[in-house]
Order: sequence, then C-alpha cells, then structure tokens
Amino acid sequence: MNEKKYFHAIKLVNENCTACTKCVRVCPTEALRVRDDKVEMDSTRCIDCGNCVKACEYNAIQTYADKLDIIEKFKYKVAIISSSYAGQFSESIGYATAKKALLHIGFDEVAQEAMVTDMMSVMIQDYLKKNKDLRPIISSNCPAVVRLIQVRFTSLLPHLLRIEAPMSILAMYYRDMVCKQKNLSEDEVGVFLIVPCVSQVTAVHQPEGTYKNLQDGAISIREVYGKVMDKVSDAEEDETEIELYPNGLNWAISGMQADEIGNEEFHTMAVNGIHNVIDVLTKIEGDQLEYFDYIVMNSCINGCVGGVLNIENPFVATSRIKRLLQKSEHKYFEDELFYKMYQNGELDVIPLEGRPIMALDKDIKSALMKMQKIGEIIKLLPNLDCSACGSPTCAALAEDIVAGKASLDDCVVRSRKIKKETSGKQKAGK
Amino acid sequence: MGEYWYKRENFEDQIDKFFNESTDPAIVLDYTIGVRDFVTSGNAAAQIKLTLKKLGVDPAILRRTAIAVYEAEINMTAHAQGGELKCNVFPDCVHIVCHDLGPGIKDIEQSMVPGYSTAEDLVREMGFGAGLGLPNIKKNTDLLHIISGEGERTYLEIIIYFE
Repeated sequence: MNEKKYFHAIKLVNENCTACTKCVRVCPTEALRVRDDKVEMDSTRCIDCGNCVKACEYNAIQTYADKLDIIEKFKYKVAIISSSYAGQFSESIGYATAKKALLHIGFDEVAQEAMVTDMMSVMIQDYLKKNKDLRPIISSNCPAVVRLIQVRFTSLLPHLLRIEAPMSILAMYYRDMVCKQKNLSEDEVGVFLIVPCVSQVTAVHQPEGTYKNLQDGAISIREVYGKVMDKVSDAEEDETEIELYPNGLNWAISGMQADEIGNEEFHTMAVNGIHNVIDVLTKIEGDQLEYFDYIVMNSCINGCVGGVLNIENPFVATSRIKRLLQKSEHKYFEDELFYKMYQNGELDVIPLEGRPIMALDKDIKSALMKMQKIGEIIKLLPNLDCSACGSPTCAALAEDIVAGKASLDDCVVRSRKIKKETSGKQKAGK
Repeated sequence: MGEYWYKRENFEDQIDKFFNESTDPAIVLDYTIGVRDFVTSGNAAAQIKLTLKKLGVDPAILRRTAIAVYEAEINMTAHAQGGELKCNVFPDCVHIVCHDLGPGIKDIEQSMVPGYSTAEDLVREMGFGAGLGLPNIKKNTDLLHIISGEGERTYLEIIIYFE
C-alpha cells in the first residue's frame, strides 16, 4: 500500500537464518515472517525496537550503525553521548575517564545528553501547562515508541510531546556554537550521536517531525567501546578538565524523568518494555488514564540502558548510574539560549503523521469481506500460535492467506492432522 | 421500566433507517462479561478496537468507540451482575448491545447526570464508580438507547457511525 521506503537500522542476514521463528514471535508490530526458510521483513511495519535482534541466537538479525571512521570527513568532530554510556564502564574506569577517552579516539569535543535534561524538565512542565486540554501527554524521547504510535496508535499522535529530544537540541546548539567559535562553515562541523539502540540510529537517518537532519551520523556504544577501552590509560593521564553533569544521566533509566517532572501539580508515570508500553497505550486509547499529565515511555527494559547497542546488562548499568548520582555533586548547565530557542519555537516538532499498518484494505467494505474470510480460515487452524508456519500467530497466518502471502498448507499442525486422519482411514479401509 | 433515547443531531434519519431495515451485520463479536471480574474486563473493548483498526476506521472514531465500549463493559462488571455484550459491525457503523443481569437502573435520567453514582465502596476503591460512565458513553456515541428499571436487567445499545 505504501510506496515510501523506510530506513531501518536492522539487517537480515539470510545465510545465518535457521528459520527458528524466535524473532517472528517477539515482534510487536508483526513485521517479520519466515517464508521459504528465510526471515523477511515488512519495512512499513518495523519500528526499530530491536526486540528481534535480542531474540535471534544465530546472528541472522544484525544491527546497522555508522562506523567511527565517518567522522574523518569533517574538520571538527563533536560527539554527543547518550546517558546510558555512563553505565557501560566499571567504577575502576570511571565516567570521567570514559568520557575523556572519546577525545583520544578522534573527537574534538564531547557533549552529553545529560547537560540539557534539567532545562528539558522545565520546558516540559511549561508545555504541560500550555496544553492543559490534552491528557496525558506522552514523551517523545524513544523513537521506537514514536514509531509504534504512528503505526498502531495513530489516534494518540496528538498526545506526543512536541519538543525536540535532548540530543537533537544539543546537536543544533553545538553546530551553531562551534561554527561561530572556530570560524568554520556548517559542513565542516560533524555532529555525531553515540547511541544505545537501533531506533536512535534510524531516528538520525530518517527523522520524524524534525525540520532538517540535525546530525551527521549515529555511532553505537558498541562501536566505540573497544576503542575507548584501548585509550583508558591515555585518558587517565590527560589532565584536561571536563564537566560531567551527572544528575542528567538519570534520563537513561526509566522512571527518573517522570519523577523529575512530577510534582503536586503534575501526575506522571514511567513505563518500560515494549509490551508494557503497548498495554498502557491501549488504556490511553480507551481514556482510562486521562488523570495522568505526563507519561514517559521507553521501548527497552529499564529505559535506554536496555538498548541493544549497549555493552552492559541493563540492571548493572542502572545500578552504576545510580551510584554515580549518589557519589557526585550536581552541576547545572544553564544557557539562556536554550530557553530562547524554546520560546522562539525552534525546538518545536512538526505534528507527526500516522502510517497505519493495521487496516486490511483501504476500503471498509473490502476490509470487512477480508475479515469474514479470515474468520472462516481461523476456524480451520489449531489456534496454537506455534509460529511453525512462519507467521507469528494463527490469526496472522489467516491474514497472510487472505492477502495471498501464504497458504493453508503452511500450517504444519493441520497438515499433520490431515495426514494422520487419511492414513487412519486407509488402515480402517484395509 | 424506564426507557431512554439519545440520537445525535443530524443522525436521526440514519438511525431510524437502521432500526426499520434491520440488515444483517457483516461481523458479529460476542462476549460474556463476568461479575466483578476486573481482570478480564476491558478485553471486549480491546478486541472490538482491534477489529475496527483492521477495518481502517478513522482514528478519532476509533477512540470514541474505544471509550464508549470500555465504559459499557466496566458498567456491566462493576455495577451489574455481568452479562452479555454483542458487537455488530456494519460497513458504515458499529452497533453494540449490552444486556446485563441486573439489578437495573432506578432512574435513568438521573444516572445521565455527570457525577451521579450508586457505586458501592469496593468499586470506588478500585478506581471506578465516579458517576461518569453513562454521560461519557453518551458523549462518544451517535445513538444511546437504554431500557431499565429497579430490579430489572438493563438493556443498553449504542451506535457509532464511521463517517
């Protein structure tokens, strides 16, 4: 139906695929199928949540992110690191060293998401006040959640917070500042995100709602981790003073942003894990949570620390970040310019359009006819949802059959049953 | 027994035609709603919503349906002794019929006033019973028809048009 091509930071490697269907079963938008013993993806459905990557044990679903060497194309290289980066390193290395090491692997300047979260909280509270007639407002931080709403919960699009994400705001700010300070043109400054998940890579390569591409690439934490480890001793000897803004790191952990914004005036909540997110979105659609002012949603368990491009287990990373918060003093990064940008509408996001994937047909009458056929086919299927046919559930197989993408013979359980029955009849006949 | 009719403005003719012609629905979904079953209540609303999504119904209309059906479903669990919920899908509308097992509504007009509630404490403690159920259903539907009385089974039907 949709002609538009979608970028995805997920690569299917067919030669590694064993057709086990683990990925098919975990996909929240039913974007994957196994056909002819190979995994296939419907790119209009995929929201880049990365659940299939986590599920695949055969390295048949790999991630795409930019390689570190792409930064060489630029004269001045700025890295903006996701807060979950801090959770990847043990205390013996320390966040300051890990951050400084980025200056030793090729970057000229390192900024962090955590710098602007204080200011973001103020802006979000202001946004909540200005949009009192719409409840709840849903955070737009997690690109996988934003895409999930676009494809499965289109009626909730107006609820999405329409302020740029922290790392996008920083990208604008740094490009502008560096150009002025170093007397460079915009193309000479490369701004790169160091990201914990595939949805962030997709958001950089195919942004939704932004007026222009803000970053020059998205490099994974996995890509830089080994190189950073090699430079730890250099970074330890380096006496350059750097700021850490530890308090803002808490946005990498689900729950922290909601706690920060919540107060007597604003009732907030945090949800993490894609299935919990779907559950809560379903409730919002039924107007069951209209007494919440702001809901922060993360596709990954525990928040961004759960992203598939991290190194460390999400619980270990969470605990490290929390300890870092306890042990350090908070530094505020304040720049009036950010508030000015917000007031001038420079941080606004274009209202997003839906790209619904659920409809069986463009026309309701045809969709009804297809639904009737699907209903008839479901009666012939075992309702085991075993996925052996390559579709995630019996209902999905029935839909695939009506769409002409599969046949009843694909159902292994049914075929075996028929075979048994016919051989039974033959025996009885003898 | 009391009876209550609400027909949204400009939909009267369509609604009258619906009841006079009584064509067969294209899809029928049946649900049994249990009494005080707060674990599975909401499932009927969720499945009906999913069905409408698959039909490609406009998101705004989908939301109105989701809200109205959820309220109706919760009413049967929280205030009545459960009952039957039937969803008839037509090419131009969805028609939902709830037939509960009592105890009925003493004064339907009064129950249509926002904030009026007869809910017992248990139900209120669970976050239901704010007295907004029926007014909320009315707000989101093109037809609301209720037949009930004290000690009677309540019959509630709603229609929401797709355009």
